[in-house]
Amino acid sequence: MLDTIKRFFGDKKSGEVAKKRMQIVLLHDRLSISPEMLESIKNDILQVLSRYMEIDGRTIKVSIEKGENYAALVSNVQVKRVYRHVQQPSTESS
Amino acid sequence: MPGTTIVVTSGKGGVGKTTTVANLGTALAMRGRSVVMVDADIGLRNLDVVMGLENRIVYNLVDIIEGRCRTEQAMIRDRKLNSLFLIPAAQTREKDAVHPDQMKELCEKLQQDFDYVLVDCPAGIERGFRNAVAGAQKAIVVTTPEVSAIRDADRVIGLLEAELMKDIQLIINRLNHKMVKRGDMMSTEDICSLLAIPLVGVIPESEEVVVSTNRGIPLVHEKRSSVAGAFRRIAARLEGEQVPIPADNAEEGGILSRFKRLIWSS
Repeated sequence: MLDTIKRFFGDKKSGEVAKKRMQIVLLHDRLSISPEMLESIKNDILQVLSRYMEIDGRTIKVSIEKGENYAALVSNVQVKRVYRHVQQPSTESS
Repeated sequence: MPGTTIVVTSGKGGVGKTTTVANLGTALAMRGRSVVMVDADIGLRNLDVVMGLENRIVYNLVDIIEGRCRTEQAMIRDRKLNSLFLIPAAQTREKDAVHPDQMKELCEKLQQDFDYVLVDCPAGIERGFRNAVAGAQKAIVVTTPEVSAIRDADRVIGLLEAELMKDIQLIINRLNHKMVKRGDMMSTEDICSLLAIPLVGVIPESEEVVVSTNRGIPLVHEKRSSVAGAFRRIAARLEGEQVPIPADNAEEGGILSRFKRLIWSS
């Protein structure tokens, strides 16, 4: 009965349901990132953050969190001190 | 100028890879091109029955690769089109009988003599897949509008990109226009936005396909069939022609046939 009423009031069509589900499933599938890539992401995050604050590089954690209808890249890092001005990217290589 | 090797793949089984190879091969040959279809599904050969050539097999793909016959000896000419050939898969061997390097070498050789080499890829993503993909410059990924097929297609696209395949195109098979219309099937637009690769054609769902495979005559020979039309248009697009892809809600057959149908059904 409830189902019939739901349908009557325009419950989502199955095609739409399938599309929404696939958006999440494919996102999850594609987020099967290799440890090397995760390490590379971690280093890049460190580099960017270092321009704005002093951080403890050893404490940074990067992981992929997959929920029922979302996927997120979660990063945690301990901040020691925030700079008053943006630091220019280091030019050590030159 | 050497020809092009195109692999037809999908990940999931039963979505219509073999039917696609048979019909595209036939459609390209009908356009006057020389085509050889290679059944790379070793151990589970099927392209021969779909083409109606099962009684003519003497040698197969593994025989060529292991040097038991010359390449031409294993090529079976189509019953209707004399520029269309089939190299059947071995039925009694394992996928490991072939190495990707050997497939690549064979495709390169065939490209010297043919405009198109169409490779029918086995389902799955293991050795058989890597063999089928090894010699190809282009890939066609076939999917149906179902979640399982789309998920596997996405996985296969990822693997093809990892193999540095640059030219990957999508065929959506068995689209049921009525179901899309009433919202119970993902539309062409939905699928394209999910998989994010260029679309080369949409094949409507049709009982005619089973009938034609029963007989072993590819459906493209049938002039009036909407499926045949769809395959002919894909063949034209593969050859660089600008043929628009009809929208999901476009009625097939034009106003006259709609009118006729209306009369017959009343």
